[in-house]
Amino acid sequence: MDLCVFGVDDGYAEAIIRGLRASFLTEAQYQQMKNCASIPELKSFLEETDYQNCLQADNPQIPTSILRQRLKKKLADEFEYIEAQSTGTLTKYLFHLRCRFMIDNVVNMIEGLKNKIDIEILLSNIDPLGWFPEIKNIKVLEGDDYSSLYRDVLIDTPIGVYFMKFLEESIENLHENRTLNDIQNLFREMKPEYIRTSLKKMWLEDFYVFCEQELMPTSQEVLLELLKFEADFKTIQVIYNSIGNRDLNTAAKIITTRKQLCPTIGNLYPDCEKMYLQAMTLDTLREAVKGCDNYRDLLKDAPDPLKREEFNVQTKTLDDIMYDDECRRYALAFDGQGSYGVFYSYLKLKEQEIRNIIWLAEMISRKLAKNHPGWKKIIIPFSHLGK
Amino acid sequence: MSFFRSKKMKYYSLVIPRESAWVVMNELARLGQLHFVDYDPQLPMINRPFANYVKRCDDSLFKLSCLELLLKEFKKNLNYCENVEELLDYFSQVQYDRMKPGHTYFDELESEIEQKKIQIQEQSANLQNLLDRVNIITEQQLVLENAKEILGQSMFQQQTPHNPNDYQQLKFGQLIGVIEKEEEVRFKRIIFRVTKGNAWVQIKDLNNQQIDNSMRQSFHLNQNNTSSPRCLYVIVYPGAEESSSLKMKLLKVCDSFNRQRIEYPNSMDELQRKMMELNQQLLEVKNLIEMSKQQLEQSLDELVLQKQGCNCSYFEYMRLYVLKEKYLYVNLNYLTMRGSIFTGYFWLPEGLEIMVEEKLRNAMKNNRDHYPTGQIQEIKPQLTSPPTYFNLNEVTMPFQEIVNTYGIPRYQEVNPGLFTIITFPFLFGVMFADIAHGFMLFLCGLYIIFWKNYLLKQTDSMFNLMIPFRYLIVLMGFFAFYNGFIYNDYLSISLNLFGSCYSPEKEEWKRESKDCVYPFGVDPVWQASGSSLNFMNSYKMKLSVILGVIHMLFGILMKGVNTLYFKNYLDFFCEFIPQLLFMICTFGWMDFIIIVKWLNTYENNTDPSIIETMINQVLKPFDKPVNPVFPNEAEFQLQLTQILTLIAVICIPWMLLPKPLILGSKNDKHKVNMSDSQYQPLVLEKQVSEQDEDNNQQFHNDLQNAANLKSFSEQSNEQHDSGEIWVHQMIETIEFVLGGISNTASYLRLWALSLAHGQLAEVFYDMCLAGKLDIGGILGGLLGGYFYIVFALLTFGVLMTMDVMECFLHALRLHWVEFQNKFYKADGYLFNGYSYKKILNDNLKQSNSK
Repeated sequence: MDLCVFGVDDGYAEAIIRGLRASFLTEAQYQQMKNCASIPELKSFLEETDYQNCLQADNPQIPTSILRQRLKKKLADEFEYIEAQSTGTLTKYLFHLRCRFMIDNVVNMIEGLKNKIDIEILLSNIDPLGWFPEIKNIKVLEGDDYSSLYRDVLIDTPIGVYFMKFLEESIENLHENRTLNDIQNLFREMKPEYIRTSLKKMWLEDFYVFCEQELMPTSQEVLLELLKFEADFKTIQVIYNSIGNRDLNTAAKIITTRKQLCPTIGNLYPDCEKMYLQAMTLDTLREAVKGCDNYRDLLKDAPDPLKREEFNVQTKTLDDIMYDDECRRYALAFDGQGSYGVFYSYLKLKEQEIRNIIWLAEMISRKLAKNHPGWKKIIIPFSHLGK
Repeated sequence: MSFFRSKKMKYYSLVIPRESAWVVMNELARLGQLHFVDYDPQLPMINRPFANYVKRCDDSLFKLSCLELLLKEFKKNLNYCENVEELLDYFSQVQYDRMKPGHTYFDELESEIEQKKIQIQEQSANLQNLLDRVNIITEQQLVLENAKEILGQSMFQQQTPHNPNDYQQLKFGQLIGVIEKEEEVRFKRIIFRVTKGNAWVQIKDLNNQQIDNSMRQSFHLNQNNTSSPRCLYVIVYPGAEESSSLKMKLLKVCDSFNRQRIEYPNSMDELQRKMMELNQQLLEVKNLIEMSKQQLEQSLDELVLQKQGCNCSYFEYMRLYVLKEKYLYVNLNYLTMRGSIFTGYFWLPEGLEIMVEEKLRNAMKNNRDHYPTGQIQEIKPQLTSPPTYFNLNEVTMPFQEIVNTYGIPRYQEVNPGLFTIITFPFLFGVMFADIAHGFMLFLCGLYIIFWKNYLLKQTDSMFNLMIPFRYLIVLMGFFAFYNGFIYNDYLSISLNLFGSCYSPEKEEWKRESKDCVYPFGVDPVWQASGSSLNFMNSYKMKLSVILGVIHMLFGILMKGVNTLYFKNYLDFFCEFIPQLLFMICTFGWMDFIIIVKWLNTYENNTDPSIIETMINQVLKPFDKPVNPVFPNEAEFQLQLTQILTLIAVICIPWMLLPKPLILGSKNDKHKVNMSDSQYQPLVLEKQVSEQDEDNNQQFHNDLQNAANLKSFSEQSNEQHDSGEIWVHQMIETIEFVLGGISNTASYLRLWALSLAHGQLAEVFYDMCLAGKLDIGGILGGLLGGYFYIVFALLTFGVLMTMDVMECFLHALRLHWVEFQNKFYKADGYLFNGYSYKKILNDNLKQSNSK
């Protein structure tokens, strides 16, 4: 039924996205990019593609960071346009999508401030997709006082909810008769990466609930599937990264941290929860997830996290494997009709494309030999469909 | 006859040494008659030898467009080029005076453009900075003034409290500054949260946009509202100590809004002094602005300046030169580079070799280093068929455009554009037939023709759009005028020009004499009779069918002409002849009996019905007609119709069967040939490998052989599919037979549209004018005037615009579908000459103010 009325409100926005499908770089174009010998050459190549307008005013010898910023700006502009064309649920939905980038921005800002990086540099590096006016006020942050940061600045922002939940949870976890000092200690020791993961987990769960409650069945079907996978992906990542992590020295600490960071949605939760929380090696992790989907196959090629020091550019890391599988799923979701999955996939696939371009730009600027295995480490959106 | 068929093309190869490539291409572009063939369309532009040059040209154009924006901002009017030929001559003059190789001139221009761009942008950025500076200073002044008002005297007179716990004596600190207007609410909230409500915030609009604009106006600059609205804030908080944590926090918050914060002086005197200081600064900056603005204008004026001998501004000169250069390199990219030699292929209209050779000699002469210039050589065309090229002029262009919109004629096929010149306006005229309306359209066309030069300058004129189609409009108007006479229709009234043959007599119409015939058109007496509509309908209907069949027969004849020209005798005998016979024996015969019926007079109630005759001819082939068309010769008519029907029926299988059968049998023979031809390339390859590889000639042969072989095998592939041939032929046959009927019926629109036009005109006339003109007196005059205006507006709006459009579209359809499907293949591609003149003309700009 919802397929009949999908076009009434969301047809135009969807049509724009379908049109933007043509802007994805093709395999042949990636091949040509790989043949570029220098950054100016790469830039002039990109000027022949859809990225033309956002690069024209720049100096040919463009630094990678600025290149990334420009590409992201273009994506953000497109997204903003679509957001402006949307109504009702779709607007809310698109806004939810943006929250992920806002979380990234906030955590990046906090991290930067902690490391005493100049605020101007930080501001110029924020992801345009996750921009919101309060972001510059994060400067108010003093030391590690996250609660006052929340109280003064973030309370009004879209991600304030997540931040509050995060603060509450972390304080609750302290022992009963906590003092102010304990809380300060807690914040001091907290790593930005930990904040990021927790916030994203909350966002993901919240987004999942949103999709479940507000979207039409077709969109639900597509999106919940994608979100479940993303949650599982996060879970596996958390477990994987915590294996052999020196900061988490006791088994009990590992398990509580994991429990805090793993999303409570997805295919793995709650069936496999007990097993993966206990997994202390790659093999036990593999064993833990074998019941679900094809995760076991995915993990088959993952390198052992205990030998993390031996990793180099050539290693196909867990992230690479997961991105590859993600890309396939998003491309499939993109080709589905009449669902909000298109917007989600478009964003994800474009992100992947930007990651690819930046990766290649890095490879080019480092002047690596053409037979270096790193050149193959790009995942081309939609390349999975033809096969 | 150059318009009847497209020009004969010849295929040439061009070999140029690398050193003189630029000179040769430069000369050839002046000729404008070469159609370069891309040697490998699949190869991306970026991988071609001159991609870099094209890129550089693009960059320069981009820089120029940046400069153009600035020129517009400072309201500089450029002189635009109007005559490309003159400009091109000037280009070569400049080249000649330089005494250096031609292609290096672009390098000079490029660096000059770069320099100019940097210089001018720097100056304008400078100016912008100064303007911003002024803004900041005025803002500061405003903030201070307002703060003084808000805070008042008492702020300076605070005493150090004797007792810190006494709230009455608590000292207050203050912060003042500027924030964006849209952040006002957020700002207040954050301050509230940070101070837990213990601060007093006052916010006031600055109206900075107005100030900015008035300031810009005072310097005669464009007003552009880039600055967002801002407002000033004043915060008063308890505790004046320098390092109180509240103050530190507030400072942080205020600073995080990235707008300026201003230190508030401690005493009234200081405040006054600060204001004076700011005033001083403001004056200085304003002087600076005046100066830098003058500088900027000076550099911009340099661009507007017209150099001696050149017919446009220097800026335009550079832009067009870079465009020209880019075009040259794009075309040079169509050539292959092997070693130091460029090889390319192009199509050239027959008979122009001498001119090309002359240009090449010219290039040699003009070339300072006297490098050998290129040479051309005719070779056999490759796979692709030649482009279609017509020498058009302003009269023929719109008609060819009508045809091209449907499809470009195949190379050398009969061009329907030639006939369209007359048939199109004529068929339009049949539908739009009205003496007055036609004449108005005719006058409109004449006006555009004679006042063309005047209209060209009127950029906002409606007629401006019609200029290219002026001859079409004149002809359309003329034929509508002419057909109006045939139908004797003047705004729905018949004119009695030659004296009617009938005169009223006792409520009857009496014919003057038996031989009296109205000399031209329809006797006006018909309008007075009650059966005028019946008579005109039958007359117009028959006329449209007659015109339609003639038009279609003509189309079929053109097919015959095409088959003979291409020596395709199979199509001639198996398609053209049966089609022609079929059309003649069915609808040709119908036309014939229509005319016979017009010529004969029949006894009471024995006049034959044409439709009945046609139907009975097929359904009752052995019954004598009851009311024969030829009076008293029913037997003869029966025999004739039997023969005609038989021929028409035989024509159908004739169209369907022989062609696929013959093609099929040819196919079998072909297979045997194929096995022979496969040996050929092997032998050739061997020869080639033995010879010197750099030998260009051999390379051509090789290419050619490969191409021929490819086309050979492709052809055979096409023919292999005999099933496809059958299906194709079946569709063709069915389309023609059914199309014969439906197309003839389609020509009835000639009658229908003319009827609609006539009826509309009549309604307007009856409603607005008839009767209203008889009322006498002043009232009658006023009413008459009013109704006349209504009538004129309706006639113009409905008949002269909408109906013209409608008749135009129907005439278009009759040509595209009914006429052209009889013979027109329309699968050619246009000749695209390599010409500077064309590219520059396409990129010329019109100066707006004139």
